[in-house]
Amino acid sequence: MSTGGHNRATMAGRLSVLVGALSVPAFVGVWELIARSRIVNAVLFPPPSTVAVAVLDWIHSGQFFGDLSASLFRVTVGFLIGTTGGIMLGVLTGRFRLLSSLLSPLFHILRPIPPIAFVPIVILWFGLSEAGKLFLVVWGVFFTVWLATHIGVQKVDRGLIRAALMLGTPRRQMLSEIILLGALPYIVVGLRTAVSISFYTLVAAELAGAFAGIVYRIEIAQQNMQTGQVMGGLAALGLLSFVADRSFAAIAERAVWWR
Amino acid sequence: MVAMMHNPLRPTSPLRLVDAVPEPSSAVPEAIIRVEDLSIVFDVPRGEVIAVDRVSLAVMPGEFVSLVGPSGCGKSTLLNAMAGLERPFEGEVTVAGKPMLAPRPDIGMVFQQPHLFPWKSVRRNIAHGPRALGKSKTEALRIADDLIDMIGLTKFASAYPHTLSGGMQQRVAIARALANQPRVLLMDEPFGALDAQTRAVMQDNLLELRDRINATIVFVTHDIDEAILLSDRVLIMSAGPGRILRDLSVDLPRPRSSAILTDPAYLALKRDCLDLIRTEGRKAFEQMEAVT
Ligand SMILES: Nc1ncnc2c1ncn2[C@@H]1O[C@H](COP(=O)(O)OP(=O)(O)O)[C@@H](O)[C@H]1O
Ligand SMILES: [Mg+2]
Repeated sequence: MSTGGHNRATMAGRLSVLVGALSVPAFVGVWELIARSRIVNAVLFPPPSTVAVAVLDWIHSGQFFGDLSASLFRVTVGFLIGTTGGIMLGVLTGRFRLLSSLLSPLFHILRPIPPIAFVPIVILWFGLSEAGKLFLVVWGVFFTVWLATHIGVQKVDRGLIRAALMLGTPRRQMLSEIILLGALPYIVVGLRTAVSISFYTLVAAELAGAFAGIVYRIEIAQQNMQTGQVMGGLAALGLLSFVADRSFAAIAERAVWWR
Repeated sequence: MVAMMHNPLRPTSPLRLVDAVPEPSSAVPEAIIRVEDLSIVFDVPRGEVIAVDRVSLAVMPGEFVSLVGPSGCGKSTLLNAMAGLERPFEGEVTVAGKPMLAPRPDIGMVFQQPHLFPWKSVRRNIAHGPRALGKSKTEALRIADDLIDMIGLTKFASAYPHTLSGGMQQRVAIARALANQPRVLLMDEPFGALDAQTRAVMQDNLLELRDRINATIVFVTHDIDEAILLSDRVLIMSAGPGRILRDLSVDLPRPRSSAILTDPAYLALKRDCLDLIRTEGRKAFEQMEAVT
């Protein structure tokens, strides 16, 4: 009886692995069939083969890597600046009451405004420059990381701080080691959310007007009715943020190394 | 009284009553810890809590003194004041002649919870203090390794705290506090969270350790057995607000081990302590009855 149950369990397991592996190819296949069957308008819903050709053209034209690096630059630099600022200010407001009274109310008012709503004012301030795009990503990332750090710092075990005080830990090391590492598990959660935020603010930043970038390319293709290129761009963006999220998850797992 | 014949030097009664409140300045000029008329008051939502109420005491260099009292009587607050973690509301605490206004590296502390840095290995936890005080990495790690051998955790030097048992963690916490070679070691119910068996082992370890280090120790506990076994002097505190009721010298021979717990002289001393505490407990209870 138990072996039967065991066999059934492994069979169910194998089946689900198989179905999982076939999920995306099956979807692409069905899409190809439907698009070619003329049930739908092939100009609006191009088959995957057309999308693949558009992507290859994109790469051959040499624009792809320019677009990719422009987008990657905005996302990574914006992410790094925003998270560094968020962590630093989070440590400070989490640790120093007066600073928290000064800044927290302001941050709590600004935080819920969707970063996309800042696009018009950013265009007025920065025009179509890179600085404006970075600003949007930084802005989007900052508050999430600040709040996660602020809360994390306040949850650091007071006993740990007292122990460190008794051992003569200097003020600087108290912030940069005890407080920061004590709050790290919370910070990492904030950073993971910030990865996806940085991508969606990137979209807003490039739609607002750019000269290169994956989302910029999608918009240009849309204006030219190149739907294959639009979908190729979407796929590239999806893949990029998927890879970013997964690699960050892997990093996050190791970031709290003592667990 | 077989034990007594082996030791003719032992005084007839192990219990000696000392003035409950020692004269601050003249009587004990060479004290290393001096608490004078110390009161500590906490602001709470509904008014104030007097945690420590005009306490005076003195501890001699090299002495092992226990503070015993019911929970909530202010033992931790008093100890924290000696550590510089709590500021006096009134009165003064001086250690080695200097008033305690902030923690100082010549005073070590062991808490009820080990509070080890979870991101550091055993070795690096112990090396933290010497590093913080500016010693080189090599020097700090050498100090750590010596202490690790002393607490018998050589095999666990590179383990992270969460992989150790409670007793092992607390041994690391003690070693970490000793790494700065403190003149004064404050211990706040350090074995309170351990099971009875581990606690007995830890007590024996501490007795051995004490012979090797050169520190004055103030030890908080609510376990009378533990206090008598370990100490030269036991201070019994009243139920809150904390005051010192009695100051008992424990004139039992050293080296001691937990074998002493069945010694008749020890039992006599313990009975005296328990009587005191029971009377005090009843008083506190009657006071509460009268109020309500
Ligand atoms: N930070 C604090 N804020 C307010 N009340 C406190 C604080 N610390 C201790 N107390 C109060 O002071 C009294 C003594 O506490 P404590 O020193 O921890 O006692 P013990 O260690 O003897 O159990 C208790 O009534 C406790 O509630
Ligand atoms: Mg306590």
